Amino acid sequence: MKKYYPPVRTLHLYIGLFVSPFVLIFSISVLVLNHAGYLNSVMPVKRLPVIKSHLDKIPYDASDLQTAKAITQKLGINGEIDFISQNDDHISFPVTLPGERTKIEVNKHTNDVLITRDEEGVFRATNYLHKMPGPHNTTIRGNTVFMKTWRLLADMVVYLLLFLSASGIFLWYFLKAERKLGWLAIISGAIIFTGLLLFIIG
Amino acid sequence: MSYKTLIKKLTYSNRRLHIHIGLFLVLFIWLFSFSGLLLNHGNWKFASFWDERKEKRTEITVSIPAGLDSIQLLKTILSQLKIAGEVNNVKMTTDSVDFSVAYPGHVSNIHADLKKGTGIQKELSYNVWGKLRTLHTFNGANRDNADVEPNWLLTRVWRFSMDAIAAGLIFLSVSSWIMWYKIRQNYSWGYLVLIAGFVLAGWFVYLLKL
Repeated sequence: MKKYYPPVRTLHLYIGLFVSPFVLIFSISVLVLNHAGYLNSVMPVKRLPVIKSHLDKIPYDASDLQTAKAITQKLGINGEIDFISQNDDHISFPVTLPGERTKIEVNKHTNDVLITRDEEGVFRATNYLHKMPGPHNTTIRGNTVFMKTWRLLADMVVYLLLFLSASGIFLWYFLKAERKLGWLAIISGAIIFTGLLLFIIG
Repeated sequence: MSYKTLIKKLTYSNRRLHIHIGLFLVLFIWLFSFSGLLLNHGNWKFASFWDERKEKRTEITVSIPAGLDSIQLLKTILSQLKIAGEVNNVKMTTDSVDFSVAYPGHVSNIHADLKKGTGIQKELSYNVWGKLRTLHTFNGANRDNADVEPNWLLTRVWRFSMDAIAAGLIFLSVSSWIMWYKIRQNYSWGYLVLIAGFVLAGWFVYLLKL
């Protein structure tokens, strides 16, 4: 087994370096998600002036997503369409880029458009990325190149993180000087992990 | 202590902490990694949970003493029904109260008629996949009001654990840069790999909206 130590160490090092900025995105976003109230008080969302516009020839007879995409193209707004609400009178949907959320509302009788934009900042950008693509609205999620790419990257980060943790255990096992303390760390982590799960989900 | 000795000691401690914090967090990392995959791949058949949910409807009776404020009222109902969890979606009128109580993998929606002392409890229980999914997102955050703090002790404990894991992962990332920097001459591709990671991650966080 020891012959694998050098290549595993090299892979652990390079993969760890590559993945570390993504791990930072996911970790910072946990703090943002858990303390949204605090973030709102120190870094509130900036609402930009509302824009009113008018469009012609909106293809309402297409699918909801095609209609929404046609509207965003005509308006020159880029971003992931997270969900679409539609009734006989209006179609509305948010168009999101990490850190910037635009809400588009179209009156289907007059084709008048109301555009509301929020600048959410870098921290909420990590929050958005953490939650995407997520379990909701799976039929329309991934309607931009960036979200399709992020979906692959998010998965890749998870698989690489699993590799890093497994290879980390492998590398530690050969460090005799750290073995006792390492076992203590693993066992105490396992006890706290099991205890928490038992308490919370019974 | 000379500057060199101090740096040597700090880098040695950094390496040891990297190893042991990593080992301590390993089960948490696996839990959140796997549950993250489940959330992003709702179509994985083996991890189906919603179709396998168990539902239960129970008629309940509650005795409500007069003069309770809303919090005391909810606590009284919870203690009489012998349930605990994060309370959400409270809708109260002079005659009735509706609310939900949740912990990972289990949700109770309760309607109580305050005048008659009767009500209905609808329970949803998920299988292990559903529990894993909800553990990933169980932080007591209120969508309508971000200032509202979790109201169940174990939600606060779990949220603190999430914060600690996040802080641990931030440390593991930063400490890995320090460890590599010390041996950068033997691993010169590290510059390229680290910069590539930062450029790609930065593109998503900063550059997309420009």
